[in-house]
Amino acid sequence: MYHELRKQGTSRMSVTAAMANSVVERAPPLLRVVGLAKRYGEQSALAAVSFDVRAGEVLGLIGPNGAGKTTLLEALAGLIPVEAGELMWRGAPSTERRDMMFYLPDGLRPWDDELVPRVLTFFAAVHGRTEREVAETIGSVGLAPALRKRVHSLSKGYARRLMLALALLTPQPLLLMDEPFDGFDLRQTRDVMGLIRRVAASGRTLVLAIHQLADAERVCDRFVLLADGAVRGAGTLDELRGQTKLMAASLEDIFLALT
Amino acid sequence: MRSPDVIAVRRTPLRPLLVKELRGIVSGRALWTTLLIMCPIVGFSFFQAVSLYGEASASASDQAALASGLSPLDGVLVPTFGAFYVTVTLLFPFVAIRALGREKETGTLRLLVQLPYRTPTLIIAKAAAVAGAWLIALIPALSALLLWRMLGGHLHALETLNLLLGHLLYGLLIGAIALFAAAITESAATAAIVTLAVTIGSWVLDFTLAGQPGLAEWVSRLSLTQTLRPFEQGLLSLGLVLGGLAAIVGFAELAALWLHPGVPLRAKLVRSLGCAAVTGALVLLMAQVRTTIDVTEDRRNSFPAADQRALAALRGPLVVTVHLAPEDPRYVDLRRNVLSKLERVLPNVTIRLVASQSFIGRSGDDSYGEVEYGYAGRIDKTRSTSHREILPLLYGLARVPIPTPIAGEDYPGYPLVTNAALVLPWFFGALPLLIALAWWLSRRAPRTPLPTCQGGES
Repeated sequence: MYHELRKQGTSRMSVTAAMANSVVERAPPLLRVVGLAKRYGEQSALAAVSFDVRAGEVLGLIGPNGAGKTTLLEALAGLIPVEAGELMWRGAPSTERRDMMFYLPDGLRPWDDELVPRVLTFFAAVHGRTEREVAETIGSVGLAPALRKRVHSLSKGYARRLMLALALLTPQPLLLMDEPFDGFDLRQTRDVMGLIRRVAASGRTLVLAIHQLADAERVCDRFVLLADGAVRGAGTLDELRGQTKLMAASLEDIFLALT
Repeated sequence: MRSPDVIAVRRTPLRPLLVKELRGIVSGRALWTTLLIMCPIVGFSFFQAVSLYGEASASASDQAALASGLSPLDGVLVPTFGAFYVTVTLLFPFVAIRALGREKETGTLRLLVQLPYRTPTLIIAKAAAVAGAWLIALIPALSALLLWRMLGGHLHALETLNLLLGHLLYGLLIGAIALFAAAITESAATAAIVTLAVTIGSWVLDFTLAGQPGLAEWVSRLSLTQTLRPFEQGLLSLGLVLGGLAAIVGFAELAALWLHPGVPLRAKLVRSLGCAAVTGALVLLMAQVRTTIDVTEDRRNSFPAADQRALAALRGPLVVTVHLAPEDPRYVDLRRNVLSKLERVLPNVTIRLVASQSFIGRSGDDSYGEVEYGYAGRIDKTRSTSHREILPLLYGLARVPIPTPIAGEDYPGYPLVTNAALVLPWFFGALPLLIALAWWLSRRAPRTPLPTCQGGES
């Protein structure tokens, strides 16, 4: 299935995304973010951010560097304290976030002095994954050539694949990924996009922080446009076109119009 | 790919976490460097101790009185483990800090705290790994004990285990402080500075204030080094063990409170104050537990066996009024030779120190130097600091006969004349080589098949 997806390229992905859209639009929000606010001293990093995440969708947090994407993901994952805001999980106030979501930070080389398989087997053992599941995950992210290496000696692309593999081994329904395509070349980016669509098709929900608008347009079902820590627009590409009255505009045009 | 589900945090196995933590410490340079440095330090200390013990033994070989003063605990174990203590104080913090500091520095902590473990569980696993590292660091000192036995030396099991227990408590305390330091600081270097400030500061405190009167004496008791003293003297103090454990758990709990980056600073501070208050109260409470057992083979912390039995039968309260300043050497003698032993054997002893000010300039006070013993409404005085004079006085007050010494209870001593130079090749050659080999093996990739799957896509 994965190879087929690669052969069919992005047009197949767009169809899949469109089908997914129609499904997720009818579903109640998996996660509702209400009035999330975070300050660093005098500077506001997040200003009353509110949006919904629907089950099974790929949601893109779009914005330039410094827009507050990483801060927002870390706040959602509970890794930084916030001044205000509430998370509703399937309509109820969220309690144990570790049960609901898993956040994959950007540029991380986890346990960098360890061998790659040991990091994988540690995650697999913690989450009760079988050897077969680990092997499948390695195959799906193309990590096999790096299995005899230590994490610190991995190239940027393979370090990213390792993080992706770890995310796939976790069982949480919602995955938060910071810049998942950073460090990949064109072909690898397409592969990872295919993988992300496949993960979403299996029922998991993904929130991706992406600053490359072209990548976001190709892989995401819906978008939350962030600038200066505030939400400037949210919806599918068509909805955003409707909001901006730019009916044939690209995501880049819409973003420039809204920010 | 497994379908998503809400995970059960409470059922997550602990073993993978423990294995990961231990492997994290073992794969780091800090532990192996510590071990390599420890080899010559512990080895040379052991060599010197055995040499001096041999010289003393040579002159005591034909004199039983001199031989009875030769105890391996004082002569060999304490000096050898003294070197171990120095390296643990100075180097072990780096090993313990690595258990957490590396994850904080690289940002991996953000993954760790998302795993389905509670933060105290994460710290417990790290503390267990630190304990494992301490056991590995013990190898040079343990090999010294083995060599001592191979050379024909004597070891008393209880004495030795008691000393090891003391060092374990000290090592775990250093480890817990290091974990706490790593939790509150952003870099391993800062954590090391904080920990060494505590350990070396405590050391300095011990050097400068010990033996001083009043507040200085009380402050000097806060020194971590004081934790080891009773164990080196062959005493198993229940209060000290429980107090040490309370402090270790307290520092570990503080580390857990500061571990999660998502908890607001204010909440961390408030919870830390509560935790510190509870820990402090527990340590003070445990300090009131007076139960102490003399585990030495020569019973140096007890009166002769016949006296112990006779004194244990005295059930009434004994009041001792000491007209001496605490820094007076006579009081130090009296405390060591008589008062401490009385406190251990008698169920009800009250010691009152009347002259609490400096003994300098007290020559005009006629009662200065007197020690008054009150039992069953009768009082007697003496200026002696020897149990040979004081115990008969007590028997007189209690109207009980002086017990007859039990024959054959004398400690024989364990003199040993041996060539200490034989141990040097082990500590300066073979053991460092073995450690380097183990380090190299720990860095090798496992031989087990790698988890690959041909066409693993699904």
